[in-house]
Amino acid sequence: MAQYLPAFVEGFWVTAEVSVISIIGSFIIGIFIAMMRVSQNKVLNTVSGIYIDLFRNIPFIVLIFFGYYGLPEIDIYLDAFWTGCLVLSVAVGAYVGETLRAGILGIDKGIIEAAKSFGFSRAKIYLKIILPIALTTSIRPLGSVFINLILTTSILSAITLNELTGASKVIASTTFRPFEVYVFLVIFYGVLTFAISGLISMWHNRLNQYNGEGT
Amino acid sequence: MGYVDEGFSIYDLSLWVEGLGVSLWIFVVSSIIGIFLGVSIGLIRYYRVPFIGKALMVISEFLKNSPVLVQLFLVYFGIPALFAIDMTPNQAAIITLSGNTAAFIAVIVISSIQAIDKRQLEAARSFALSEVVILKRIIFPQSLAIAMPMLVSLAINQLQVTSLISVIGVIDLTRVGDIVTQRTFEPFIVWPIIGATYFVLAKIIAIVGSRLEKKYSAYRVTT
Repeated sequence: MAQYLPAFVEGFWVTAEVSVISIIGSFIIGIFIAMMRVSQNKVLNTVSGIYIDLFRNIPFIVLIFFGYYGLPEIDIYLDAFWTGCLVLSVAVGAYVGETLRAGILGIDKGIIEAAKSFGFSRAKIYLKIILPIALTTSIRPLGSVFINLILTTSILSAITLNELTGASKVIASTTFRPFEVYVFLVIFYGVLTFAISGLISMWHNRLNQYNGEGT
Repeated sequence: MGYVDEGFSIYDLSLWVEGLGVSLWIFVVSSIIGIFLGVSIGLIRYYRVPFIGKALMVISEFLKNSPVLVQLFLVYFGIPALFAIDMTPNQAAIITLSGNTAAFIAVIVISSIQAIDKRQLEAARSFALSEVVILKRIIFPQSLAIAMPMLVSLAINQLQVTSLISVIGVIDLTRVGDIVTQRTFEPFIVWPIIGATYFVLAKIIAIVGSRLEKKYSAYRVTT
């Protein structure tokens, strides 16, 4: 089996690249969605509400097929890799937005009132107070959103991307050992997720040790 | 714009109905089997059946923390190769989704049983109620009330997960979308319709779910 290791490692790198790019993308989209969701502006509020509702209730594979077959129709030509990154960012952005919204709503109003009375501008309140607090308290739920994102990258094999699952599919069909390959893959993804959620827990505890939310 | 409609026929509508039926059928069947299996696993773990309880929980953790698509491949390609048996895509879909749902249900069952105040159970035992009566009259109604919100969001999630079975060749709603797109070359019409169908189904589950939540919240003991 050792000769198939390079293909597996290569698949792992593709998964890692897609995951990192999409985590960053969805994070940026999610921050904007969350800010729109808590704003007083009716239009921004409704638009972000629809965005969250839509992307949380439509299966990812439908979105990815729409992106992969639909985007060329409007003259946007992306390969499977970048289509995957784009659709993942847009879709997971809804989950990030909803998670951060909860984090923002959980902030003690007194802190924001205090900042206002010190004459902080609204932008400054957001950047220096609201977002940092919301991010530190939402590390755990955000972590599980991103772990889900990593597991979702496997669906990109359906649009011919040879990430971890796609590469394993090739290995399974060349070795005629699908059972062993897929059992190994299930364990691999499992261990990967346990490791990441362990790291997230540690990070959460470190960042929250001063605000009484540690442990 | 005239050519837009040319590609579609009444046949596509019947395909859509068929795909919808297959998706719903597999969702319902795998949910029922999954609930049954999941509750069993949860109870085996709760009553601390040695070894089996732990082993089932380890398997559940891996089912929860790996892509369902890979689990589908394992069942559809792996199991027939290992045991030299035949398996249809629909069978593989039902086996995989049932197992996956069971893993999530088991964890919900355990956490909602543990949320019940232990003193209630001690009181019941000191009144010499049998374990079966305790399970039926004390644990079950309250844990159901606690578990309901989690079960509803699991149901919405598992409905979306059914779309993955299209990859192993089940002619479900998503596969129908794929087939019609390949023929009509109208991804901009087909996929929004398929997406909207899933969206409406999810909303129906959410509405039914919030009614059930209200109904069962009566069992919740507030202290």
